Amino acid sequence: MSAMDPTEIFRQEASELFEVLEGALLDLGQRPDDRELVDSAFRALHTIKGSGAMFGFDKVAAFTHEFETAFDRVRKGEIKPTQELISVALAAKDYIRALIEDPQSTDDIIGEAILDDLKRFVFPDQAAAPVAEIVVAPPLAPVESKQAGWHLYLEFESHILRNGSNPLDLLDDLCKLGPCFVVPVTDGIPFLDEMEPEDCYLKWDVKLHAACDKDAIDDVFMFVSDEMKLTLSPLEHVEALPPAPLFQLLDEELTPMVAAPAPVEAAAPPVAEHPVAKAEPKSEPRPEPKLEAKRDDRGIATVRVQAERLDELMDRVGELVIAQARLTQLASSGSDLSIKMIAEEIERLASSLRDTTMGARMVPIGSLFGRFRRLIHDLSRDLSKPVEFVTTGEDTELDKTMIECLADPLVHLIRNAIDHGIEDTASRSANGKTEQGRIELAAVHSGAQVLVTVKDNGGGLNTARIRAKAEEQGLIAAGAVLTDHEIHQFLFHPGFSTAQTISALSGRGVGMDVVKRTIENMRGSIDLSTRPGQGTTVTLRLPLTLAIIEGLLIRVGEGRYIIPLSAVEECIELTAEDERSRGRNFLNVRGNLVPFLRLREIMSASGAPDRHQKTIIISTGDTHVGLVADQIIGNHQTVIKSLSKLHSDVTMFSGATILGDGTAALILDVAQLVALAQSKVEKQHISEAA
Amino acid sequence: MALNPTEPKWSLRLPADCSIAAIRNVYELIREAFGRQERLEIDCSSVDKADVTSIQLLLSTAKTGQAQGRPVVLTSFSQSLRNTLRRAGFTSEAMIDQHFPQKKDGV
Repeated sequence: MSAMDPTEIFRQEASELFEVLEGALLDLGQRPDDRELVDSAFRALHTIKGSGAMFGFDKVAAFTHEFETAFDRVRKGEIKPTQELISVALAAKDYIRALIEDPQSTDDIIGEAILDDLKRFVFPDQAAAPVAEIVVAPPLAPVESKQAGWHLYLEFESHILRNGSNPLDLLDDLCKLGPCFVVPVTDGIPFLDEMEPEDCYLKWDVKLHAACDKDAIDDVFMFVSDEMKLTLSPLEHVEALPPAPLFQLLDEELTPMVAAPAPVEAAAPPVAEHPVAKAEPKSEPRPEPKLEAKRDDRGIATVRVQAERLDELMDRVGELVIAQARLTQLASSGSDLSIKMIAEEIERLASSLRDTTMGARMVPIGSLFGRFRRLIHDLSRDLSKPVEFVTTGEDTELDKTMIECLADPLVHLIRNAIDHGIEDTASRSANGKTEQGRIELAAVHSGAQVLVTVKDNGGGLNTARIRAKAEEQGLIAAGAVLTDHEIHQFLFHPGFSTAQTISALSGRGVGMDVVKRTIENMRGSIDLSTRPGQGTTVTLRLPLTLAIIEGLLIRVGEGRYIIPLSAVEECIELTAEDERSRGRNFLNVRGNLVPFLRLREIMSASGAPDRHQKTIIISTGDTHVGLVADQIIGNHQTVIKSLSKLHSDVTMFSGATILGDGTAALILDVAQLVALAQSKVEKQHISEAA
Repeated sequence: MALNPTEPKWSLRLPADCSIAAIRNVYELIREAFGRQERLEIDCSSVDKADVTSIQLLLSTAKTGQAQGRPVVLTSFSQSLRNTLRRAGFTSEAMIDQHFPQKKDGV
């Protein structure tokens, strides 16, 4: 186990802070009066600056300082966060990210230009004003008086010493800013019987004789700011320094004591009491159990684990599930009751471990949704189409691998929705719509699946144009009878685009086919629904995980196959009447005609078929297909193993798994089988028409 | 860390480690000594590790002694303890004398 590079830790933390910062800035664009958002953005900036300086990212610290200084006017309520200012702030955020992640790609000139823009918005009347000047509070005294430093009063929470924080180190750091006069305030010291020796009772009154800016002081207390009360006010006049101030004596040798011995009885006179402390009702600084408990909870609430370790853990659990299946099979073939009991116990534990491990890999999809807010903000600005972005179901959890795979498809869908879906403001107004378009991104659990929908309130799909384009490209015969749903499927055809102009965003016909392929590779499916003039909804149906699924184990001839249980609707017996319909391959399921595929034919199974064939009805979206197999063996916890590159062109299977007896079973790709059934139906239609 | 038998019976020598890691033991030691003796002399010459908790404990001991009218005296501050006191703002001898009832060496 190797320790992580501290710089890498900073990069990771900064990455999370950038998300917070970006989210706050984008929200601020919508809710400019929300103080909490301003504070949130400011906290993120401040931490990036402080940590950046600590880890040697001096350029980051310097740039962020300027950014923070300018943004301070927003925090003080002196200027409003306009859309223009938010855009520049986002650009500044991007620049800081580049400084951290890829410094080679940055250029000081770009940074300066961003800061100039920032100043232009922050100081509309004096664009050339140096940003740093506003950070220090203007002198309150008459013009001739000059700020000579800061007066600080430090009061720490009682538990701070237990955290490993050392106020003396902080005082040392403070003294590095300039001459310091530190006076300990001892009025909080309790009697022995009332004392918790690990608690902090001392407070300090400090006069810092240095004209440093407030940020420098904040930086000293950055990591304890939530656990202390810092009262800060400017010193207006240079005060005479007391003899032997701390800053001079720190490294000096101590001189021998010369004062007369203090009589034992003449104990300390009344200790110094701070005026602030005096003004408040005296309260004994007893330990605060509630606060302690809160802190402890916070300490163990989350643990940062490298993603690859979670992957390794999942692999191990997969191996365990396979071994457990073998044990179960072995136990069931014998007659030893105690082994059967152990096998059942291990099965229960393995199942529980699997669920726990999969739970640990689950990530709220909101972490992904957050990224698109920036995309929509930028596209909306570039295309001059005001768009409201609404997300729901951010707490819906998905396997982390799924989240990573979903990013690109969603980018394509959202781009399409804004570029092609949402109309320009003039058209919207002409059609009686609000000028601002709306894009909704939602996630919701549906059984063992997650449904992710991208919905716009634009013009909807132009079915006639899609059809014409499909005919033009020779994908369908002119005049062929197709449902709207079937016509819309051409959008997923490689190279298919109805856009009349190619823009930087879309129009080349590359995208939707990639989206479909990516989703299907994740064992998911994609549906389109549209209403002319009212918008389009794209629904992605995704399994919860890519690692282990519940499957239905079936036998076809000598081979065994797995069907993902999430796709199975029902199992029925193939009746003699259905058998007699050979050649038409349709089942009558409660009055609905469902096409079916004989897996024996597809798999070229040898030997005689079982007497009573079974049909498993599977579905993707609204489409149902029956699969005829020899035998349904039962449920199976399926650890998905990828097929080798040699089998990458076999589209019928999405993977393989290892059964309890050590043999392999192939996992059927439901989407491909449904597509195959549909193509057979179409061919049948064509041949009957002919 | 116990009462030093070679010293006058009301003398207590503080251990080398008086930092937060060991402060509870030192605290119990002082309380125990407080319960036994009318007068208490605390020898600080061995203190090698000191921090805010050490200072607070000595201040509390002095405050308690004063409140109860029981003499408490501190002797022979080690260099380490003095440095810690100075870092905490007890920068001058007068200030130290003001807060910590001391008996100077040899007196």
